[in-house]
Amino acid sequence: MKFDLATFAWQIVNFLVLLAILNKLLYKPMLNMLAERKRTIKDSLEKAEAARAEADKLQSQYQAQLLQAKREAQEIIEKATKMGEDMKEDIVKNAKNEADKAIKKAQDEISREKNQAVAALREEVATLAVLAAGKVVGKAITVQDHEQMVKEFIAEAGDLKC
Amino acid sequence: MFGAAAGPLGINFYVWSGWGVIVILTILSILATRNMKLIPSGFQNVVELLIEGLYGLLEGMLDEERIKKYFPLLCTFFLYILVSNYFGLLPFVGYTPESPEKGVGLGIFIPPTANLSVTAALAIIVFFSTHFFGVATSGLKYFKHLFTPMWWMFPLNVVEEIVRPVSLAMRLYGNIFGHELVVGTLFVMVPMLVPVPINLLGTLTGAIQAFVFTLLTTLYIAGATEKHGH
Repeated sequence: MKFDLATFAWQIVNFLVLLAILNKLLYKPMLNMLAERKRTIKDSLEKAEAARAEADKLQSQYQAQLLQAKREAQEIIEKATKMGEDMKEDIVKNAKNEADKAIKKAQDEISREKNQAVAALREEVATLAVLAAGKVVGKAITVQDHEQMVKEFIAEAGDLKC
Repeated sequence: MFGAAAGPLGINFYVWSGWGVIVILTILSILATRNMKLIPSGFQNVVELLIEGLYGLLEGMLDEERIKKYFPLLCTFFLYILVSNYFGLLPFVGYTPESPEKGVGLGIFIPPTANLSVTAALAIIVFFSTHFFGVATSGLKYFKHLFTPMWWMFPLNVVEEIVRPVSLAMRLYGNIFGHELVVGTLFVMVPMLVPVPINLLGTLTGAIQAFVFTLLTTLYIAGATEKHGH
């Protein structure tokens, strides 16, 4: 095999031309594409990571809020229950008071009426007694006499139990 | 009618076979990068696999910074030699057995790498680019490495620097030329089926030789452009 200078020279030219062609047509676009893909994937991963962290944060936030809401609801229920109990007691107490008052009033009324009735009865009895006595005595008793006698009678009978 | 007889400007069938390889690679590049998508599919995927694989492998031998600078050169060596070697598997490509040195008769095309002048041209490009990159990186200090580990090792180091491209050229040429010769001879003796196993072997040899050439070139460039203090 002889060494051929023309082939040698042409081959160098060929190779350099091919280097230029491939650099323009293949390496640049392809390596750019690979770099871009790498960047896109990295960006996507970072974005996904950020989204996940955000979601985690939101979830814990919501959980805290939920817990808070539950606690508040519990408090409200407890408060309402207590208020209901208090109200019930108040109402019962008031009712008892009212009832007591009504009973007392009624009792007072009764005793007052009774006393009145007793007093009226006594007066009536005294009058009748004086009338009867007048009939027996046979003479009319004057008004002054009459009142005088009634008062004396009542004073005497005041100690009597009715 | 087609032969090694040089045409004008010494254009012979090794030269136009080289043009054939260039045309094939150009068409493949256009097919691969036309309508490129961020999510690859089909042919783009195949070529990306190849380019990305080679890029990753060479990146391990160089580093992130230098691979960007030297990748086009290294990848062109790989693709050119690979396609040249596989070129010989096509019909109407190869030596005619009667006069393998002339390639008359059937041989319209020939794997360019089956010629010593061609592989020598590739090796001389390796030689000059290696030393050019070395000087571009470290200046004149680059030549200090010829005097290591002792100054009187200088002649031996020079011999080594010269042997490197020679071995690159010889290895590639010998493998591919030998393959073509065997296939051609067998073809004359038994045209049917018998050359097939040798051609199968040729697919292996073609890939391995392209790979070896590229890896050695990468090693040479990596050694030449190593920063001091490493």
